[in-house]
Amino acid sequence: MNRKFGFINIVQFVLFVSFQILFMDSLILYSTAFCFIYVGFLLFLPLGISRVWILLLGFITGFTVDVFYDTMGIHAAASVLLTYLRPHILNLLTPRDGYDTSDTATIYAMGWRWFLAYAVILILMHHAAVFFLEVISFRDVWYTLLKIVTSTIYTCLVMVIIQLLFFSGKRANR
Amino acid sequence: MRNLFFFIYRFRAFLIFLSLEVLCVFMLVRYNTYQGAAIFNSATTYVGYVLEFQSSVKDYFRLASINNTLATENAALRAELMKYKDIEQTDSLNKMTDSLYVVTDSAKALPYILHAARVINNSIRRTNNYLTLSVGSEAGVRPEMGVITPGGIVGRVKTVGKRYSTVTSILHSQMLVSAKIKRDNTSGTIRWTGGDYRTALLDFVPLHIKPAIGDTVVTSGYSTVFPEGVMIGTISSVEREPDKSFYTIEVKLAVDFAQLSYVYVVEDPHREEREKLERDAGIKSDEP
Repeated sequence: MNRKFGFINIVQFVLFVSFQILFMDSLILYSTAFCFIYVGFLLFLPLGISRVWILLLGFITGFTVDVFYDTMGIHAAASVLLTYLRPHILNLLTPRDGYDTSDTATIYAMGWRWFLAYAVILILMHHAAVFFLEVISFRDVWYTLLKIVTSTIYTCLVMVIIQLLFFSGKRANR
Repeated sequence: MRNLFFFIYRFRAFLIFLSLEVLCVFMLVRYNTYQGAAIFNSATTYVGYVLEFQSSVKDYFRLASINNTLATENAALRAELMKYKDIEQTDSLNKMTDSLYVVTDSAKALPYILHAARVINNSIRRTNNYLTLSVGSEAGVRPEMGVITPGGIVGRVKTVGKRYSTVTSILHSQMLVSAKIKRDNTSGTIRWTGGDYRTALLDFVPLHIKPAIGDTVVTSGYSTVFPEGVMIGTISSVEREPDKSFYTIEVKLAVDFAQLSYVYVVEDPHREEREKLERDAGIKSDEP
């Protein structure tokens, strides 16, 4: 299993988070579908990364977004939840013969069905945490649920597009 | 003891997860209740620097409309100035030396001080929206000051850094503004419930009043945040629900939050005195 947290991940962190901060506020659809593109950084981390390390990375990522969005704690809490659940989801979705050393969390390495299941579950959890922490109470539940569902679809689509555009098949077989 | 360490080591991921979540919730609660200096938010120097760069790029593409707004405001101010000059020229009463004009209303003697500020970060589509301004404590901005544009009210300063400050927009689920209907001085409270950034609700207007569509809603001046009579918006719908003792009134906000570029931070020189007086008398309400 690829355990390395390398230079490429740091580049991904900078790219995803700055894209989130600088552009994503202009790309909200109909005031209901939000795209939190920075979760891509956490989703595409190496599969064998240690559980403690990924929690800290999740906290740092969420905190950075929080500082720029003035939503102290919301994105940090959601990202920590995502990174805590990630190893469990990976276990659930283990292929019949286990993960290869060369495997990454990409469509090329794992196939469409695996990636979609992985991304949808984690993004749904993350977005549910973000939107419920935002309103804190359970009023306007239907509106919040609508936001969660549309945003999850939106973010997943963007994740797939990013994979098709920037993650080549070659790199996955490295 | 060894078992304890073994236990901690075995569940280290879960324990770190728990402690990080507790930390997040602590930050969330603290940030929502605590007003004051900037610790970690968009008023921090480096964060403000990034946001300022971003807005300088964005503003470049709407220079024409920004110029237009400023020119319109200049024209309005100039017209008002000319009116005063006109009165001064035709009025000979000012030049009389045998009478003394004494200012009795102390609120008029020291007017509000306005600090011009550029909006460098602005959100309108979240449940709790904030703005970041490119003025800070160096320019005299303090927490709890009001923020307005020529068109109407925008929000209230939340935290202040050295060169930047964060503003709670009125598009914030916990922001309440004391307001009144200009025509008959009925007071109420403006509250934003989320969703559309052009409309807010006016609460607590009793049923014996007859509010009409198109009535102007302005700030009441009951709080020290905003001066009296600043535009908020116009009533767009009035509904009378059978089980409520107040109207449900929708107000179309005068300020287009999507187009904000320059705003004014309002400083009230009397604020401290007034707040101290109200606090000492025990009538200081929690309502902003």
